[in-house]
Amino acid sequence: MSLLEVKNLKVHFPVKHGLFSRVKAHVKAVDDVSLTVESGETVGLVGESGCGKTTLGRAIIRLLDPTAGQVLFNGEDITRLTQSELRSRRRQFQMIFQDPYGSLNPRMTIGQIIGEAIDIHNLAPNPTARRERISNLLKDVGLDARYADRYPHEFSGGQRQRIGIARALAVEPKLIVCDEPVSALDVSVQAQIINLLMDIQREHKLSYLFIAHDLAVVEHISHRVMVMYLGHVVESAPSKTICRNPLHPYTQALISAVPEVDPDSKRKRILLPGDVPSPINPPSGCPFHPRCPIAEARCKTEVPALREIKPGHWAACHLAGESGASGAKAPGPAGA
Amino acid sequence: MPLLEIKNLKLDFKQGDKMLRAVDGVSFSMEAGETVCLVGESGCGKSVTALSIARLVPTPPAIYPEGEILLNGSDVLKMGKKELRSIRGGIVSYIFQDPSASLNPVFRVGNQIKESLKLHRPQAATDDEVIRLLKLVGIPAPESRIRDYPHQMSGGMQQRVMIAMALASEPKLLVADEPTTALDVTIQAQIMELLLDLKKRLGMSILLITHNLGIVGDIADRLAVMYAGQIVEMAPANQMLKRPLHPYTRSLMGSVPKLGHELERLNAIPGNVPSIGFMPTGCRFHPRCPMAKSDCSQKVPELVQVEPGHWVRCPYWSES
Repeated sequence: MSLLEVKNLKVHFPVKHGLFSRVKAHVKAVDDVSLTVESGETVGLVGESGCGKTTLGRAIIRLLDPTAGQVLFNGEDITRLTQSELRSRRRQFQMIFQDPYGSLNPRMTIGQIIGEAIDIHNLAPNPTARRERISNLLKDVGLDARYADRYPHEFSGGQRQRIGIARALAVEPKLIVCDEPVSALDVSVQAQIINLLMDIQREHKLSYLFIAHDLAVVEHISHRVMVMYLGHVVESAPSKTICRNPLHPYTQALISAVPEVDPDSKRKRILLPGDVPSPINPPSGCPFHPRCPIAEARCKTEVPALREIKPGHWAACHLAGESGASGAKAPGPAGA
Repeated sequence: MPLLEIKNLKLDFKQGDKMLRAVDGVSFSMEAGETVCLVGESGCGKSVTALSIARLVPTPPAIYPEGEILLNGSDVLKMGKKELRSIRGGIVSYIFQDPSASLNPVFRVGNQIKESLKLHRPQAATDDEVIRLLKLVGIPAPESRIRDYPHQMSGGMQQRVMIAMALASEPKLLVADEPTTALDVTIQAQIMELLLDLKKRLGMSILLITHNLGIVGDIADRLAVMYAGQIVEMAPANQMLKRPLHPYTRSLMGSVPKLGHELERLNAIPGNVPSIGFMPTGCRFHPRCPMAKSDCSQKVPELVQVEPGHWVRCPYWSES
């Protein structure tokens, strides 16, 4: 049994208008997404802003209530639990947030921030054990145990993100949803946090759902990568495969747009025209077809299903896997 | 004569009775048509250096104790208000990181571009010219777009409008301060392509400020890497990207994950960027440097030319 299994999850937000707040339309932020995370595995979730990756992460740990679908954690559907049942289950899944400045209460000391989680779940029998646990957690994330008495404003962005990680670890979770944990950090500090997350995973046998927009970071840390576009998963594969052999034209364009330091490796850049369409009024057929360099007539009308094209490699594109189409070759669009 | 020549620029911020030095002895020059990129992490002084070129840093709190900024031969730091107004837009234009914060939300974008035209080229302040500019920056259907308000456009479109506005006055130097940081990767690629295209077509000089070494390769002629208020390495772009000499530049390149490279651990730089006012003695990078020697904490290294055009602020650059 998988640690986490998400089945056909949908999160729709109503768009209200007018005097009586009539529901005019729905933003389909997450539309029919399924995924699994095994224990000890890192699944990466990439996509541009507005693709629904954060909403998906929040719906999975029920910070948002999904519209439809199931989230099975160790086989138990958490979308149907009451608040009090949910609270006891929350010990098993935690979240690390993007903004290390906004996610720590400025009026609480680091010890209080980390200790709060310990208290809620009654994990420390006495104050001495509690204090010891907090200092061990701080040491685990590479901070000095004396920092427990200080306040968040005394720390740099990277150190605050470490505190956020310690808070998530405090309840010994099995899964951590990391929502853009490094994108607010400086380049040199980013690498420290990525290394730390990987070390902690090895030590504590954790699973991560790692949400980010930076494909290079996601590829580095994840075992499997899922690419989202307008609320749909368009491709899912082991991380090495997805970089070497992307099947979906959107993934190909994303990979070609990743900045490259090495001046000699001239990857052919695929420039996508236009912007991500509004999720209130998504295009018909394949949601990517207005920007797709290889779109055909049927892409405008038929919604492509997520198909397993090679073992373990799924893509939602009519043309993926066909000879002569986008396929296995180096990214190079066949005419716009 | 170079278009821009910055000589030993120093910039202090007054805080209480303390003087905090944000920029400490930055010198570089740019020829007409050249593209230079200033690379560094937050707080390294790259943005205030760039803003100083048109004296956009308010004084006070800022004080320029030393240095010269020669733009077309005349010193910006000694200019009066009237002269400054003529160079802002006239010679140097800016585009900033967050286009939605830089555009006025209550005016139509066409009128905002026309405002720049009225100031600098009054005879050309027409709808036709605005449409031509919007076409130049690749906005589709510009005839209808000029009546849009900023909120009706996406981030990428807004950044294109900002570029059109900057180009309206036909500047000689375009300063782009993190122009793609707020944008998605596919949109970032579009904007970088646009800047590259404009550079080729209009022959302007571009000073690009960024923290991302990955985006500079295609566009930059020369790179300058800044750390803690100083330039630590400066060289032609290709040369530096292939063979960085300063340990900071090397560590910075090593700490970004690369697509498709199998690497167990990233070479993270330990510690944090020093905060202004608490600069380490000697070489400012020594507490984080993987090859620091015992005397690095005492001797202040100079920026020296070690190869033609390649400047490094590290006496031990050859030991790698």
